[in-house]
Amino acid sequence: MSSSGNPSSSGGGGGPCGACKFLRRKCVAGCIFAPYFDFEQGAAHFAAVHKVFGASNVSKLLLHIPEHKRPDAVVSICFEAQARLRDPIYGCVSHIVSLQQQVVSLQTELSYLQAHLATLELPQPMAPVSSSGSLQALSITDLPTISPSLYDLSSFFEPVMSSTWAMQQQPRPSDHVFGVPSSSSIIGGGGEIQALAPEFIHGGQMPAQPSLGTSGSASTVIKRE
Amino acid sequence: MNPKRCAACKYLRRRCPKDCIFAPYFPPNDPAKFACIHRIYGAGNVSKMLQQLPDQTRAEAVESLCFEAKCRVDDPVYGCVGIIHLLQTQIQNAQNELAKTQAEVAVAQTKLSQTQNSDF
Repeated sequence: MSSSGNPSSSGGGGGPCGACKFLRRKCVAGCIFAPYFDFEQGAAHFAAVHKVFGASNVSKLLLHIPEHKRPDAVVSICFEAQARLRDPIYGCVSHIVSLQQQVVSLQTELSYLQAHLATLELPQPMAPVSSSGSLQALSITDLPTISPSLYDLSSFFEPVMSSTWAMQQQPRPSDHVFGVPSSSSIIGGGGEIQALAPEFIHGGQMPAQPSLGTSGSASTVIKRE
Repeated sequence: MNPKRCAACKYLRRRCPKDCIFAPYFPPNDPAKFACIHRIYGAGNVSKMLQQLPDQTRAEAVESLCFEAKCRVDDPVYGCVGIIHLLQTQIQNAQNELAKTQAEVAVAQTKLSQTQNSDF
């Protein structure tokens, strides 16, 4: 997929773009898909996009996005479309839930270790260290069981959570909700998303799917059974 | 008009049949949910996707589609991918911090052992 944004496969010149080839229509000059779906591999990528989103919906989406942001948008749309085809039930949401679980697990482990470190650094007489090595005694298995029953993805649509320490390490977009970052604040321009594109498009790992609970609102609460 | 139309049929201004594929998942009291999903995917695509799924999995599919649609509405450029990238960054930061803290714990324990040994 040509995601460079260069009009290398613009319509009306050297043959149809991948999208118009797939749609079997004439590729006109100024075809909105032409810069992003080349003749060779673009058709395959567009097939997934068309199946999930539909050509007209994608066209409308792209028209509402500034031109310099469209390559990134196309990459993310292709990623979501392929994720949805691979997993028709959860799409890329399962990947998000899995990553969220990893974050929680790492943060818990880090908190535990930081508490342990604080204990070690206290200027008090400590209990004798066991000969086997205290670090081994404080293994991951000693951590309290983490079994949150709900992962509230609605938090992604709320202002930044102050309890999430990791977010405090990063600059917060002032006018955007957490989890729905502005491109300039989180992904620096087109370069990073392009670097991520191969990882996303060509077989990003999709872990086991958690069970989703039903919800009547758009703020989805994902239940993990 | 049938007052018991689902949100999808209300939005599409059509009759809601008894076997409407959208009715179980788009109650009439939440019109925004279908509006969002229709804006991104289109009713026809959603209908096709649901028809290809077993009945028992459709509710969860609708929820995940709604989530992705909302992400895309809120962030037209990156959608869900923005969240994935953010989480991956958080994981990387947490792993780095974890490695650093583990090293600090090891150093602190070594110092403590040396202090205790010198006391003995």
